[in-house]
Amino acid sequence: MSDIQNVKKVAISKIKVSESTLPAWWLVFRRELIDLWIGGKAFNLILIYSILLGGMVYVYSFNTELSLIPPREAVYEMLKNAMAVAMFVGLIIGADSLSGERDRATLESLLLTPANRRQIIVGKFLAAFSIWPAAYVIAIPYLYVLAQGNEVLAPALLWGAITGTVLVLGYTGVGMLVSFWSSSNKVSYFISLGIYALLLVPAELPGKSAGAAGQFLQWINPMAAVNHFLSKHLVNYRSVAEFWTWLTSSVVLAVGSLMVLLIVGSGLRLEAGRGSKLWAKLGRAIGVSVITTLILIASSALPTTAHQLATATEPPLQISIDMEYKTVRAGDSIFFNTSVTNNGIVESVSFIVAMNIINLDAQGEVVDPEDWSPQRTQYVEHLAVGESITFKWRVNAILDGDYMIYMVVLPEPEQQDATSQPIASQGIHLTVTPFTKLNPGGVLPFAIGTPILILIIIYLVIRGRRKQIDAGGS
Amino acid sequence: MPKRKTSLDSNSYPEILVAENLCKSYGPRQALQGLTFSLKAGRVLGFLGPNGAGKTTSIRILTTIMEPEAGHFVIDGIPSEHPEEIRRRIGVLPENLGFPRQMTGIEYLTYYGQLYGRTASQARQNGLKLLEDVGLQQRGRSLIGSYSHGMRQRIGIARALVNDPVVVFLDEPTLGLDPRGQQELLDLIQRIAHERNAGVVLCSHLLSEVEGVCDDVVILNLGRIVARGSVGEVIGRGQQNIILQNTLRVQVPSASVTKARQVLKETPNIMKVTLIGEMEGWLQIELINATNGNAEKDIQMNNKILGALIRAKIPILGFEIEGSRLQDVFLHLTEEVIK
Repeated sequence: MSDIQNVKKVAISKIKVSESTLPAWWLVFRRELIDLWIGGKAFNLILIYSILLGGMVYVYSFNTELSLIPPREAVYEMLKNAMAVAMFVGLIIGADSLSGERDRATLESLLLTPANRRQIIVGKFLAAFSIWPAAYVIAIPYLYVLAQGNEVLAPALLWGAITGTVLVLGYTGVGMLVSFWSSSNKVSYFISLGIYALLLVPAELPGKSAGAAGQFLQWINPMAAVNHFLSKHLVNYRSVAEFWTWLTSSVVLAVGSLMVLLIVGSGLRLEAGRGSKLWAKLGRAIGVSVITTLILIASSALPTTAHQLATATEPPLQISIDMEYKTVRAGDSIFFNTSVTNNGIVESVSFIVAMNIINLDAQGEVVDPEDWSPQRTQYVEHLAVGESITFKWRVNAILDGDYMIYMVVLPEPEQQDATSQPIASQGIHLTVTPFTKLNPGGVLPFAIGTPILILIIIYLVIRGRRKQIDAGGS
Repeated sequence: MPKRKTSLDSNSYPEILVAENLCKSYGPRQALQGLTFSLKAGRVLGFLGPNGAGKTTSIRILTTIMEPEAGHFVIDGIPSEHPEEIRRRIGVLPENLGFPRQMTGIEYLTYYGQLYGRTASQARQNGLKLLEDVGLQQRGRSLIGSYSHGMRQRIGIARALVNDPVVVFLDEPTLGLDPRGQQELLDLIQRIAHERNAGVVLCSHLLSEVEGVCDDVVILNLGRIVARGSVGEVIGRGQQNIILQNTLRVQVPSASVTKARQVLKETPNIMKVTLIGEMEGWLQIELINATNGNAEKDIQMNNKILGALIRAKIPILGFEIEGSRLQDVFLHLTEEVIK
């Protein structure tokens, strides 16, 4: 009988679990939290985050165009951007959590302890997630100042907290999963950033997701879907009941990534193993996908073809406008009326009256009419023979310059494989002279004060840590 | 250092580590081919082999970081099917261990002590004791980021001892240390084995240090054990297997070198005498192979040479037979297998 067979007889009786005062996940979480925050990494990221938010608030307030965005939209935009940055930070910390330890050769000593692998994962995950509550608290003053007393603040804070928590949980989980399977931090970062970019691009370009397929893509993209939900609920006064399904993908991402982490977590190893090669290939595939997506989005923005225009038919509708030119200051508004008349012999098809603004300077800077007017289009069901309809329009002069405003009547094509001929009105020549507001809404103290406050906190933490070390370590 | 109370009856189960037929491969390359050896409490086992011999793979398997494809091992009576329990009984200083730069030495040891189930105060007390044991009591409250390489090796060894392990694995612990640092660490390793009654597995490329510190050695090459036993046994077997007694080395005072060379030229069965260390007075003596590997005749031949020098009143400061050192055996054994 071999030595091994001899000792096996008594082996099992010797196995007993030592009583640990604190669970391993808590010890790992506390240690990681200290490393992350006292070590300075989280504070540095939070500082950059606060500077970014401060910059955004400053731009929203001082930029003559953006400063005219209504509070509801400004709050939504700030919340969206704050969440996007927090998700990015969560993803990056998650992506570093395991592969970074592999690179720094500190994972082995942790794996050599009797601590359960799954508990190590849980501790690290919670520490990585800790960035979100801090990021959210920092965003609150910025949201407050942009709301300017608007009632949107309360729902924005509530839904920002809920959706942000779900999204950051999901993104941190994804980052950790990538890190789990990555043999090096470089691969982990590359894949994580690829995933982030892949989901961010469509989320930031919602206008491109037209049609059922586009809507579906937007719905399954957690970031885009949450943005859509927040936009409808906070900006467009739509109820939660109408749009709650748009939160499905973010909840699925959060729950799914956490479950996968817990399932695979027990197999945490020193080396990512054979899967890492597959993972590296996946990373390259994601990188290629990002580039392809960007090209597709760019190509979808190309103008319609001449062939489509050639098949147009001329409708009997006419449009007139009651203004020829106007000079105003940036920030002022102008009002004018348009009248559409059916001069045909039959009732008109349904049509849209749309406003366009063109910059007349040599650079040909693009103007987004949505920023200039809340009434971009008007829809008309039918117009009887000889009947007229009048619309009143408001335009906010956002940027100084020389512009032409004109209206277009767009008859609805009669069938799917037909088109129609737009009818343009005479233009309004609009001259906008400069005007700059100073420190609107008391934004400056927040924009500058928050990063300075964080710097002071960092200084105090470092000083406290030094004192602690001088006084005896732990 | 506290002496550990062994839970096993030392007569019934004298071996605290038993490995049988461990195998591991990386793709087509066989990293380990049937590794079998054992270690007793209180002894230091030198784990030797050239690069790629399978040392680190063996250590990773025995420390439960990696699973073997075949074979089995038992540590302190716990079979390898219970890795968490084995981890409670071993201490490891891996090669190229990374350290958290923002932690102090005592924080580091307290943290790991807690992970092994100690309360915070117990872990801290134990950590302070370990810092003292490894000679870092003055720097325990400094950030590890400010430690020298030698200090990091010491704190790494202290970390390996936080759970009062039965077996301690040290992978190249003296790598990159100056001679004084090396010696201090080797003394520490001996104290771990003798005062704690722990078994120590020491991986090293420095064969002179292994020879000085280890009780037993295992020499690996290309994933196989090519020699195993006590240091004396391995050297003895090496000498039997290879005829190396054709060359001797004698150290005499530098002032007597010329006279010694003259005496040796007149001594029978000497083919060539070469001065190999002018300052130190080392002479290399190549013999005519007249004994055909007969050990007794070899000894007589050596005595004749020494006798001739003594009769000429030349002081002998040192005497060495080539092949009598572990390094000679190691080079020979590993070279043979590669061929």
